[in-house]
Amino acid sequence: MGKAQLIRALQIAAGVLVVVLVVGLYKAKSDASKAESHVRELHRAISETEASNRALNAEIAHLETPAHVQELAQQHLDVTPGAQSAALPESSMASRLPAPRERQSHP
Amino acid sequence: MKPILPSRTFAANPDFAGETLEAAPARNRVRFLAIGLLAMLLLLSARAIQLAFSGDPTAEAHRGAVIAQVERADIVDRNGVLLATTVRAFTLTATPARVWHASETAAALARLFPDMDRDATVRRLSDRSRDLVFLRRGLTPNQREAVLSLGLAGIGFAQEERRVYPQGALAGQALGFTDVDRHALAGVELGLDDQIRRAGAEGRPVRLSIDVRMQYALETELDIAARGAHASSAAAILLDGRTGETLALASWPVVDPNEFAGASEAARTDRVAGDVHELGSTLKPFTEAMALQERLTTSGELFDVSQPFVLDGTTITDDERILGPVGLREILARSSNIGAARLALRVGGDRQRAYLARLGLLAPPTLELARSQAPIAPAARTRRDIAGLGFGYGLAATPASLAGAYTIFTNNGARVAPTLLMRAPDAQVTRTPVFSPTVTQQVFSYMRSVVTDGTGRAADVPGLLVAGKTGTAEKLGDDTYSQDHNFSSFAGVFPANNPRYVIFLALDDTGAGAAGGAVAAPAVARTLRRIAPMLGLRVEPRPPTH
Repeated sequence: MGKAQLIRALQIAAGVLVVVLVVGLYKAKSDASKAESHVRELHRAISETEASNRALNAEIAHLETPAHVQELAQQHLDVTPGAQSAALPESSMASRLPAPRERQSHP
Repeated sequence: MKPILPSRTFAANPDFAGETLEAAPARNRVRFLAIGLLAMLLLLSARAIQLAFSGDPTAEAHRGAVIAQVERADIVDRNGVLLATTVRAFTLTATPARVWHASETAAALARLFPDMDRDATVRRLSDRSRDLVFLRRGLTPNQREAVLSLGLAGIGFAQEERRVYPQGALAGQALGFTDVDRHALAGVELGLDDQIRRAGAEGRPVRLSIDVRMQYALETELDIAARGAHASSAAAILLDGRTGETLALASWPVVDPNEFAGASEAARTDRVAGDVHELGSTLKPFTEAMALQERLTTSGELFDVSQPFVLDGTTITDDERILGPVGLREILARSSNIGAARLALRVGGDRQRAYLARLGLLAPPTLELARSQAPIAPAARTRRDIAGLGFGYGLAATPASLAGAYTIFTNNGARVAPTLLMRAPDAQVTRTPVFSPTVTQQVFSYMRSVVTDGTGRAADVPGLLVAGKTGTAEKLGDDTYSQDHNFSSFAGVFPANNPRYVIFLALDDTGAGAAGGAVAAPAVARTLRRIAPMLGLRVEPRPPTH
């Protein structure tokens, strides 16, 4: 291969490389742009979900306030939580326990 | 530089020989340019290959940004229950040029928001000189939906954030509030503003030491007591005396921080750290401890307090005359002003003031609230002033300060400063020694007698050993103290067999006869009944009422 041919081959290779790089750069930029857009969309979705979570947590905390729980307990269970201790003196424990079952006789 | 030889064709032709020699430098430049371009291309290729195989070096930075940052962090209680958070809200806007009928639009909006000024809304909607007008801020998503369903032309929304307090009025004054732009204006919101912003940037909550269950119990019982005693205001605080953590603090009347703007000044005021009062007999345990610490009396000494004590023209009396000689135990149990005055005079003004300073009663409270009221504590100049301080007059301090002083009974004579921030289990707690353990335990046993045999019997909770001291301070009118206006209180420490918790409850401006033992002590007992199981303490159930 002569020197001129070598130079031409190199020129063609460089040209191809330039074209590949240009196309590659375009594709990379295009992909990056799409990825960036996707990331933005994900961030927006995260932000939306986070906002929804915060609102839901606030709603849950509001529904679980001691006053609300007490109101529900009084309404549905007829008990007042915390009004008095559920602890029993030892002397009255026996009377609260269920009666012992009679031992079954085996034939 | 050696010239590059021309090609054989051109060199053989004599016509082109001179021309070829002239073109040689230009050709060299082209070749150098080509080599340079090739080098650049190779570099770019190498970088492209490196990037292709090494991934995105900036990916880590992007990943870090996913942390949910907020301007102001959530505030939670010691168990993680949400106390304050920031949620999305909407601002109701209008484009006047697109509004069809201003008065009809205003009327429709007024039906949804009755407090909306209809005339002002019409004026704004008719103001064609402005592109956009703001009609109302802080709309909830439901309110936004309701407005959207009206289908009003020219009405729109702008997104914003709003601070909300899901527990409503619970711990309202303590939490404080922010304005619509989320600038802290009161309570913990302002007291811990920097910390809340830092935590928000890091995406973590700020954890307070309070427990909403105990807070609710304390507020409920304080409300009942304040209404029953016809008090003008009331305050209560519950501390873990070992760590100084505030488990609950309540001010009455209550306020909902979600509606702070419409609340009265009386409701907005934090009574625990923002309001000072002469504390009355709840200071007597300290007077006895001072005298014992300075070896100015002993547990065996007897005092005759049966006769009024005349001091520099002022007569000091007890509410109920105490006959016969009494010791320190009876002086405390029966709340003798005469006995406390005599002990205070032995201690003297300088030593008394030094002890009060070490007890934290001469400095503003340490709670992380926006407003920490400094005490009114003029130096005691006369014997009358010193004697008065002995039974709680001449020094006005906050309930938080007094509760902090009572932590000496849970730390063998050393004081712990109260805090609203939850401490780590292994956190170092700073303790200020005030009295010796022996003196502290001695006075503490007298305080137990206050509940078993003295003026604080109503604070007794069977199964839970409570010690404490009642206080009934007459309030200063224009010139004189009035028996018809009292500051009635009870300061308690429990359980007495292993003192750990401090509770202080006070009712302001109670009427004649509303002594601390009659109105505050029962409220403390009811509160302790409710919160003892939450603290893992056992109490005996109430006997059946039928």
